[in-house]
Amino acid sequence: MGTNTLWILVGQATWQTVVMVFFSTLFSLVLGLPLGILLTVTSPENQGGIMPRPVLNNIIGRIVNVLRSFPFIILMILLFPLARLILGTSIGTAATIVPLSIAAAPFVARVIESALKEVDPGVVQAARAMGSTNAQIVFKVMIPEAMPSLVSGITLTIINLIGYSAMAGAIGGGGLGDLAIRYGYQRFRGDVMFVSVVVILVLVEVIQMIGNKIAAKMMEKR
Amino acid sequence: MRITLKSLKRSYGKLRAVNDVSLTIPSNTIFGIIGKSGAGKSTLVRLVSLLEKPDEGEVYYDEKRVDNLPKEDLMMRRRHIGMIFQNFNLFSSRNCAQNIAYPMEINGYKQEEIKSRVHELLKLVDLEGREEAHISTLSGGQKQRVAIARALSCRPDILFCDEATSALDPQTTSAILDLIKDIQKRMSLTVVMITHQMEVVRDTCKEVAVLNDGEVVEQGRVSDIFSHPQNQVTKDFLSRLVGHDERKTRLYQWSHKEGSYLLRFPGNVTDRPVISQISRKYGVDFNLRAGGVQVVDGEEIGTMIVDILSPDVTALPLVLDELRNQGVIVEEAEHHGN
Repeated sequence: MGTNTLWILVGQATWQTVVMVFFSTLFSLVLGLPLGILLTVTSPENQGGIMPRPVLNNIIGRIVNVLRSFPFIILMILLFPLARLILGTSIGTAATIVPLSIAAAPFVARVIESALKEVDPGVVQAARAMGSTNAQIVFKVMIPEAMPSLVSGITLTIINLIGYSAMAGAIGGGGLGDLAIRYGYQRFRGDVMFVSVVVILVLVEVIQMIGNKIAAKMMEKR
Repeated sequence: MRITLKSLKRSYGKLRAVNDVSLTIPSNTIFGIIGKSGAGKSTLVRLVSLLEKPDEGEVYYDEKRVDNLPKEDLMMRRRHIGMIFQNFNLFSSRNCAQNIAYPMEINGYKQEEIKSRVHELLKLVDLEGREEAHISTLSGGQKQRVAIARALSCRPDILFCDEATSALDPQTTSAILDLIKDIQKRMSLTVVMITHQMEVVRDTCKEVAVLNDGEVVEQGRVSDIFSHPQNQVTKDFLSRLVGHDERKTRLYQWSHKEGSYLLRFPGNVTDRPVISQISRKYGVDFNLRAGGVQVVDGEEIGTMIVDILSPDVTALPLVLDELRNQGVIVEEAEHHGN
C-alpha cells in the first residue's frame, strides 16, 4: 500500500466519520430536544417547571438515566435489529447512525435540560405574567435565552459522537475508528493508526473551536 | 380598573404567606403595599396579578371575578396587565426594541404597528433612538425604563410594580417614580406599588396598605397614615425615613449628638406652642438637636429631634404623655441611625 492509497483510505474514512457524526447529531437532536424540553417543563416549579408533572418527569428522567448508563457497545448490538428494520441492513455507515443517534439522544436531552434550567426564573415569570402560552415561553423565551449554553452543549454532543463513532467502527460501521482497527491494529500499520488518531484529534479540535466561537459571538450580542 | 380583594388566603405548607387580606384598590390611582421582606408582599402580588390562585378568597377587577377564570381567559386577561420587577427581568437575547415588542408579538400585533409603537414607547420612557441597544449595555435605570415600556406596550389597565426601584440608587429611583406617576396620569392606569421603602410610598402613592405577617395591619390615605400611624410596624417604617432622603425631607441637624426623642407635628398641631407650654408646666427643658419638614403626599409634617432635660426623672413619662395628648407623635430615637 503506497502513500497515495493511505491518503485515499484516510480520506474515505474521514468522510464516513463526518457523515456518521453529522446525521447522528441531527437525529439525536430531533429525539433529544423534545425530551430535554419535556424534562424541563415537567420538572417541579422551583426548578423552572412551567407545567409540573412529577410522575411523567420521573419516568422520563429514569429512562434517560438508564439509556445513558448503558455501555455503548452493548447498546449498539441491541439496536442492530432496529437498524435492519429501518434501513434493511445492520452494517455500514448508514446503519451505524441508528444506534449512534439513540445512544446520544438521552445525553442531548440532559444537555438541553440543564441549559434551559439555567434561564433566569424571573424572566420566565415575566413572560408568564405577560400572558405567554407555554409554547411561547419555551420557544420565544427559554430557548433563545439559553442559546449560548445550548450551543456549548451541542458542541459537546458532537465531540462525544466523534468518540462513539470511532467505537462504532469496530463493529463494521466504517469511518476512522474502523480504519484504525482494521489497518492499524489488525495489520500492524502503525502509520495508519497514527494518521487516523491525528485526524480524529483535529476533528475534535476544529469542532470545539467553532462551537466556542459561535457561543462567544452570541454572548457578545447580549 | 378597581381591584377588590376579599379575604384572600394562601399558604405554603405551614407558612401562611397571605392570611385573610381584604382590600379595595381604587381605580386610576397609585396604591402602595408596603411590608418588610417576608411580610407576604410577593405572594399577595402574585395572587392579585393572577399568577397564582388563592387557597381561599376572591379577586375582582371592577365587578368581574378573575381569580377563578379558566386557563385560557386567565392568559388573555394577563395580556392587559403590565408588570415590572426589581430585577427588570428583560430578555437578554433580545435588544431594546425586541424586548418591548414581545408582548405585542404574542398578542398578534402587525409588524408595522409594533415598530411604530416601540418608537412611541421608547420616546415615552426617554430612551429615544435606543432601539438596537443590547440590554447588557444599559444602566439599571435604563433597564427599568425598557421594562416599563414593555409593560405598557399592550395598553394595560393595571400596572404592578414589584419592588421596582429596590435595585436602583436614590436619584434613579426618584426619576423612575416620576416616570411612573407621569404615565399613571397619562394612561389613567391603576398602579399597585409593592415595596419595602417608605419613601416610595411617600413620593408616589395616594393610598397605602401596610402588610405584616400576611395581614393588612393598617391602610388608608398616605397623608393620614404618615401623620397618625397606628400600628408599630407602620411606625417602624416611618422612623426609618427621617433624614434619609435629602431631596424631600428638609431635616437639619445642628448638634453633633443625636437627640433621644423624635417628635412629629402633623398639620393640626403646628399652630399651637406645644413645647413651650409643656416646658413651663412640667419644668423641663427641651434641647433641640435637629428639625425640619417632611412633605407627605402634599402635606407637610414638622419633625424635630430633641433631648428632654428633666431635673425630676418621674416627670419624663408625664411629659411624653402630654405631648401625645396634644397630638404630637413621639418616638424614642435611639434606633434612628442618621
